[in-house]
Amino acid sequence: MEDVLTEIPPPSRFFQEDLNNFVPPLPSLPLPFLVFSNPKPSMPLRPAFLIIALSSPSLYVLHHMSSKTLIGSLILPETSFSGISAEPSLGDKSCNIYALNGADNLVLLVLVQCNVTAERSHTVARMLIGEDIVPERVLILDSVQSRNFRGKLSADETLAFKLETSAERGALAGGSGGSLMLKGLHYFPSGSMIDGLPAALLSRCQLRNIKGTLCVSWPEFGGSVVALVKSLLLSVLPNLDFSLKGEGEDQYAKFSRIKDQPFDSELYT
Amino acid sequence: MEFVPEEGKLPNKDCSTLLLPALSIGNVGQLAVDLLVSSTRAERIGYLDDLFVLPCVGNDAYGPIPCGDLALPLEAYESSSNALTLVQQRSPVMKGMLVDFAKHLANFASTTGKKHVVLLSSLDFGRWQKIDMSSGPQIYYLSSVNPDGTDHHCEQFGWKRLQEYDPAQRCWKYLSSLAEENSMRDNNLPFDDELEEEDYYPSLPFAAVFSCLKAKGLKVTCLLCYCSEGDNIPDAFNLAEAACKLLGLSPRNFHGDESGNWLIPFSWKTVYGPPPDLSIF
Repeated sequence: MEDVLTEIPPPSRFFQEDLNNFVPPLPSLPLPFLVFSNPKPSMPLRPAFLIIALSSPSLYVLHHMSSKTLIGSLILPETSFSGISAEPSLGDKSCNIYALNGADNLVLLVLVQCNVTAERSHTVARMLIGEDIVPERVLILDSVQSRNFRGKLSADETLAFKLETSAERGALAGGSGGSLMLKGLHYFPSGSMIDGLPAALLSRCQLRNIKGTLCVSWPEFGGSVVALVKSLLLSVLPNLDFSLKGEGEDQYAKFSRIKDQPFDSELYT
Repeated sequence: MEFVPEEGKLPNKDCSTLLLPALSIGNVGQLAVDLLVSSTRAERIGYLDDLFVLPCVGNDAYGPIPCGDLALPLEAYESSSNALTLVQQRSPVMKGMLVDFAKHLANFASTTGKKHVVLLSSLDFGRWQKIDMSSGPQIYYLSSVNPDGTDHHCEQFGWKRLQEYDPAQRCWKYLSSLAEENSMRDNNLPFDDELEEEDYYPSLPFAAVFSCLKAKGLKVTCLLCYCSEGDNIPDAFNLAEAACKLLGLSPRNFHGDESGNWLIPFSWKTVYGPPPDLSIF
């Protein structure tokens, strides 16, 4: 049983330093920047669809999708490149940008495999949406943050919720024949919150009047949620092949165990 | 800080009183603003985009039935019938940036022509020096009307000026100097010795917001109540009722007729987590 005197307070309560005017700020970091492969595409990029994968299942599904081409990367100076592999790998701490092959319009995929702190989220969101990349529509895939969820979450139940910007909801209501983005999903329950990078990305869409959807799935790992995320992606990109090879589930289980390690040190690469 | 209006909405210049929460123990100011937004049926007129507020999103907090209307960390609401603008803050400020954030808020209040700012916040019960519960939960205040923080209008309600406010005290003075400077700078204290008891109150977020608003020449009244961490909904009611008294509003007349009353925000149903799992019994 946790010690109520020393356990970390739940996120709705403040730490003392959150309520202190005179605490020094965190050291400032150099700005992140985008790099693109040669030939450099003409900027800004204007994809019809931008999919940003943050959760373990979504990273797994999109990583194994073969019909994509690596076109660039978002470099966060605070992220160490130690141990990074020459070819994109799920174990890398990277933020790679891919273009979907064979799509009628430009579709970009961003696989965020590095940790982005809450303090850095605004800056990263600005890099990915609204400056060098100006998408028509955005889909963000993450997991439910159990610490911020005020309902009940069972490890046996696979589910997903969504939040949408006004522009996306207006597109659905207008009946213009536009894509009915994730229409079967319930809205994220009121009273619960999502923070960090997914929140910064969706907020950026809302403030820039961009059609945006944030989909959060549960549980964080497991074959059932991988299947759910795959089916959600198929509903928005029906012509693509998301089939995973036979050993896919074994590989996913291995990946999940690596991601789930609480210990993460640059000493070990 | 950028104000991003909702499509088709324009701020109403007649809504010249601004109600704001200051982050504090128990989130009481934020809960009070939630209650006032919900009960006055204030309309959201836009968002405030500030780099120093940590990101968060959620479903509509007020209801009656949330239908996917996105909630962002800093939102501006208006209740035209009550001439009120309300700003709700849902997430913390980046470590070390409270004073800079307070300056941004003060700029917003000043440039949008607000005449009176009411700041709602709470204080740690554990720090209360002279406990007086003889007349029920006590409201404390701080006002820009007089240099010593007093306001006769507040005294008439039986509220007490926050005794720990001393504009000559080193930290209060330092806050004032930071608030009056145009540039953002290092907020490290200009003295090396350890902080003492008297330095505690000026270190709190409400003190930064109060000082920055005052530096802009705005009339500001800060309403405070003591509380502990726990179920702070009763404290929120206490503070919201005090705000109504100050502004001459009555919950019964929130909508311009006798149909009004307190409306509990929908999100409060799960504000302290889900109900216990009864299957364990």
